Amino acid sequence: MNLFAAISTEPALWSPEWLPRLPQRLVEMLLGFLGAPEWLVSIAGFLVAAGTVVGVFLGGFALLSLIERKTLARIQNRIGPNRAGWFGILQPVADGIKMLTKEDIVPAKAEKFLHLLAPILIVVPAILALGVIPYGREWTPVSLELGLLFFFAVGSLTELSVFIAGWASGSKFPMLGAMRAISQMVSYELPLIISALGVVMVSGTLSLPLIVEQQGGFHLGFIPAWNLFTPWGFFAGILFFICSIAEANRCPFDLPEGESEIVAGHMTEYSGFKYALFFMGEYLGLFAISALGITLFLGGWQAPLPGLGFLPSWIWFFGKLAIVIFMFLWIRGTYPRVRIDQLMRFAWLCMIPMALLTLPAAGIWTILNRDGHGFLAWAITVPLLLIPCVIVTVIFNRRLASANRTYRFAE
Amino acid sequence: MIPLLILSPLILLAAIGAVWMARPVHAALMLALTLALVAVLYLALGAEFIGLVQFAVYVGAVAVLIVFSLLITRPGDEAEEIERRPRSLVTGLLCTLPVMAVLAYTAASGSNIKLIPWQPKLSIAELGEVLFTSHAPAVLALAVLLTAVLIGAALFAREPDKTQDDSSEK
Repeated sequence: MNLFAAISTEPALWSPEWLPRLPQRLVEMLLGFLGAPEWLVSIAGFLVAAGTVVGVFLGGFALLSLIERKTLARIQNRIGPNRAGWFGILQPVADGIKMLTKEDIVPAKAEKFLHLLAPILIVVPAILALGVIPYGREWTPVSLELGLLFFFAVGSLTELSVFIAGWASGSKFPMLGAMRAISQMVSYELPLIISALGVVMVSGTLSLPLIVEQQGGFHLGFIPAWNLFTPWGFFAGILFFICSIAEANRCPFDLPEGESEIVAGHMTEYSGFKYALFFMGEYLGLFAISALGITLFLGGWQAPLPGLGFLPSWIWFFGKLAIVIFMFLWIRGTYPRVRIDQLMRFAWLCMIPMALLTLPAAGIWTILNRDGHGFLAWAITVPLLLIPCVIVTVIFNRRLASANRTYRFAE
Repeated sequence: MIPLLILSPLILLAAIGAVWMARPVHAALMLALTLALVAVLYLALGAEFIGLVQFAVYVGAVAVLIVFSLLITRPGDEAEEIERRPRSLVTGLLCTLPVMAVLAYTAASGSNIKLIPWQPKLSIAELGEVLFTSHAPAVLALAVLLTAVLIGAALFAREPDKTQDDSSEK
């Protein structure tokens, strides 16, 4: 099966570029030395490579749960966790022990099997999606020819698992949360995928490592040739970022689990380690969608300035990831939650038309640049995107966002 | 051959589950399982693009289907459904008969079935080009049909008595 194209480059084993893949190489060499059969060596290699990715991101998850609380505390003028260890550094460990030792309660009216299945199904797609991201020049865990399609295919499982969680709990608030989650995720998945399509049009491939490689080099000697620094890429990147906030169910789009409205949405009836799994799935999903955004628009592992290539490429990737994650935290601490009608209206009246516009812009950009009319490409695509963007924003602000909502059940 | 032998009984079981389950949500989830297994079969046969598209489109579609199945059905329909089962089984079998007959006829006549020779893999770029040049009329017809369905669904979903206040609708 050529789904798993082997990573062909030969190792310069001890270089920092190869550090993340060192465990895999060592295990393969050890097994080869012990005379294990070839299939065993490759399976063990794959398992160790997968284990590296999962380990890195589970560590990142533990760290992020602390950093998020600290950052939010700073924004809200509080101190945040500071009891467990210096600077609260042991707080994730304490949280983990608490989650593990809590009683696991299954409601009497729940569907037992589906209630158990949902938290598992929410972690699986996040981990699968993390597997196809190129983290460094030599570090793509699974290099798929159809990487982008694979990412979105496994991502569509998340909606289903959120719904199963809400429905199988057999209670009101989870059900409401699940209905909200489905309408929100379906609405925002559309502009998310359309804004990623522009990148596919320009680079002509669905393979994520190739997309990153095409963003190498610099304009004018110092502006990196990332997709973000083109007119269509700028708009598509911003749309992608907004949609990824909604897909990750984070504030200001955290309606499916808005705690002041519907307790905790689909997670209301979960406790103990199942709840922790939801938490984990959410954060891993956040890592995955940020990593995809970096791959598509921010040049993946490419260094931001010429002459900085001496650092290993994966350091640049994780640096960008840290910045993007911080933007998520910042937005969470700054913006209030939107209403469900505002959310849907924003998706269908602003996001989708603008995302659709980036497609012709990307096409015009590619064709004109291929024929060498670089200036003309700027002159056409910038107004093509900017004018509708201003119009949509003005109309949305004037007429639609301020429209009174009719309350049917609460006057 | 081996993936086919392993997967086809599973697909059949899941498909039977999809029509046998009394609760609509269970049926829809079994349908999702069926479609996912078909996607796995495509992957095993080496058709990676179509397999991933199958997964992306249908698993998402089933999520929406579940919402509709919940909105349309009343709680308590299950007992009625189980009561109806013998009759539904007969009707279902009667509907399957023509399909089965055609399949049996083709299998029996045998001569016109040829094993398709292995062809070099179609790249996605070629697929897209074929789809939007020589098969463009079919794609356009499908697009028109889907738009009509969407407008029809929106018309059905609207409440009939509220006509003047459109802006407050979702």
